[in-house]
Amino acid sequence: MPGPASSSIAIEATDVSKRFRLYQDKPSSLKELVTSLKGVHYEEFWALRDISLEIPAGTTYGLVGHNGSGKSTLLRLFARIHRPTEGRVETRGRISALLDLGAGFHPELSGRENVYLNGAILGLTRREIAKAFDDIVGFAGLEKFIDSPVKVYSTGMYVRLGFSVAVHVKPEVLIIDEVIAVGDAEFQRRCFDYLYTLKRQGVTIVLVSHSLALMQDMCDRLAWLDHGHLAAEGLPMEITREYVQRVDDQEAERLHQGDVQAGEGTDQGSRHGTQEITVESFQILNAQGEEIPMAVTGEPTTLRINYNAKTPIENPSFGLVIDHENGSALVALHSADAIHTGLVYGKGYIDYRIPRFTLMPGKMIVTIGVADEHNLVAYDYLHQWYQFHVRGGRDVIVRGMLELPGHWEPPVSDARRSLTG
Amino acid sequence: MLDAVGTMWGYRGLIGNLAQRELKAKYKKSVLGWVWSLINPAATLLIYAVVFGLFLRIQPPIAGNGHLKNFALYLFAALILWNYFNGVIAGGMASLLGAGPLIKKVYFPAECIIVANTVATLLQACVESLVMTAIMIVVGNASLTFLLFPFVLIMFVMFCLGVALIASLVNAYFRDVNYIVSIGMNLFFYATPIVYPLRIIPKEIHGIPARTIISLNPLAAFVQASRDIFYGLKVPSFAAWAYLLVWAVVMLALGWAVFIRFARDVAEEL
Repeated sequence: MPGPASSSIAIEATDVSKRFRLYQDKPSSLKELVTSLKGVHYEEFWALRDISLEIPAGTTYGLVGHNGSGKSTLLRLFARIHRPTEGRVETRGRISALLDLGAGFHPELSGRENVYLNGAILGLTRREIAKAFDDIVGFAGLEKFIDSPVKVYSTGMYVRLGFSVAVHVKPEVLIIDEVIAVGDAEFQRRCFDYLYTLKRQGVTIVLVSHSLALMQDMCDRLAWLDHGHLAAEGLPMEITREYVQRVDDQEAERLHQGDVQAGEGTDQGSRHGTQEITVESFQILNAQGEEIPMAVTGEPTTLRINYNAKTPIENPSFGLVIDHENGSALVALHSADAIHTGLVYGKGYIDYRIPRFTLMPGKMIVTIGVADEHNLVAYDYLHQWYQFHVRGGRDVIVRGMLELPGHWEPPVSDARRSLTG
Repeated sequence: MLDAVGTMWGYRGLIGNLAQRELKAKYKKSVLGWVWSLINPAATLLIYAVVFGLFLRIQPPIAGNGHLKNFALYLFAALILWNYFNGVIAGGMASLLGAGPLIKKVYFPAECIIVANTVATLLQACVESLVMTAIMIVVGNASLTFLLFPFVLIMFVMFCLGVALIASLVNAYFRDVNYIVSIGMNLFFYATPIVYPLRIIPKEIHGIPARTIISLNPLAAFVQASRDIFYGLKVPSFAAWAYLLVWAVVMLALGWAVFIRFARDVAEEL
């Protein structure tokens, strides 16, 4: 395969399109083929359309986009696993790809044999693999299991070994799909440390991740794919800003069209309780007291729980827990910590007022509970029952999950103190 | 063609690794291990020798030393090649399908898989021909013609590889090729003079020149060359060598071209 024209380009895609055929009933036997000759039943689906981009050697390049935007397909074309239907992909240097859990592992073979097999596929000699072997196993932390067949490995072990092989075979281009996320936190940290090391060594890295913060941090350039088209390409700050803006706009529009309500139910929720008081709904209100479809970072916001007390209840306590969709528990709010709710009967609502909403853009999962004043009897407990989205206000840089209200003071140094004092 | 050879040479490490894996996986978890690779052909040989030699009394010709007349050895000279052919075709189809998870995740030329299987199966054929040689020396029917066998084997490997490339590729797209092939193999086995000598086929059956048709079968030509070398102790004729060479080169070139042309998207089919 001829390399790109310039030696400073690691991967060059020119007008690349990729079509997949989605067979409704794929003729996998001759009989079916013959009987279906009148009309072969498949739909054509263009996963990528007219993508042109250059990845300079030595850069770390990220692909962002929603699910199904063609990111993984593009990685597969870079890794030469699929062929473009139209256009050309040209690459320079040894490519190592980690596209799936344990890319290219054979389940029946031991970890050791798989390491050698993978090395051989990437074109290393036996001696080169033998030299890197201890590093590979050590990095993956699999010394004890290296002679067991990989089919008995856990998902985490698969990923660790896969990543370890991929990065230790002296790649010139390293292609990584969103797989590192599977490992535990400690392993993820080591992965990223190692990626930074490779980056410093001048290895070209092509990366897909849903974590925009990570992409901003690691990548020199980003490409944004939208429904198989290249929507934008450029510096990480610009691209993530544009991307987040677009996602917010789309989300707002979707909400506006009434597809989704704030306080929409989740799929994974569970509910129990004695039902003396029931939670009827959950709402988000803006500064003017109007219901809004999504919360906005930095704006005054009210969270409202609508309830219905079928019998008079003295001093019930209300609780509201917000989790980030990534699983982090963000806040737990309990009315009993702050107020006496008094006698509650019939339909009504209770508000939690927030002068400045500090959660960063993302999807939030809400748990609401109503209990007696001693928190012994649960009247109604809705575990992860509601969800809502937060979108960024103006000038919000998307990093982290929380804004921490405060301000910076001018620096105070010993030298200045002695000068002024 | 030179390009293809260069590519395969570049991937020799992988081919070696895949071939080794095939050999290891074959007899993993069996008590006798690689001994099966001797028991298996020996059993086949015994069954055919009893059925066709003892029961049906098929008469082998007199061997090259002038007095040996043994159906089992006459049969063995042909079975070496047949076992190889069978192993390469069936193994090639199975190994390409089996390599699906690999091909979908990392790039390497898919023909490496078939070549590796061809190489792995070759070990068995080599062991069998050494056994054949040893037996022939013991029974006193040996000659320098044995030294020609490697050349026959090399051409046969090319021929089989060509067939295996096509069969395994088509099988990847249409899974029932597997069944068609097993019927075809059965047919081919009896259409080749393996369990019988060519001369028991009538020259003409209802005006059809049956014997000529059977003898044109490329497998028949390879089998004949093997028998000449091991049993008849004759050097095959120049025409026979030329015929084998043509089949070897044409089949390999055809198989390779077809595979290269259609295997590019095989990752989407497995």
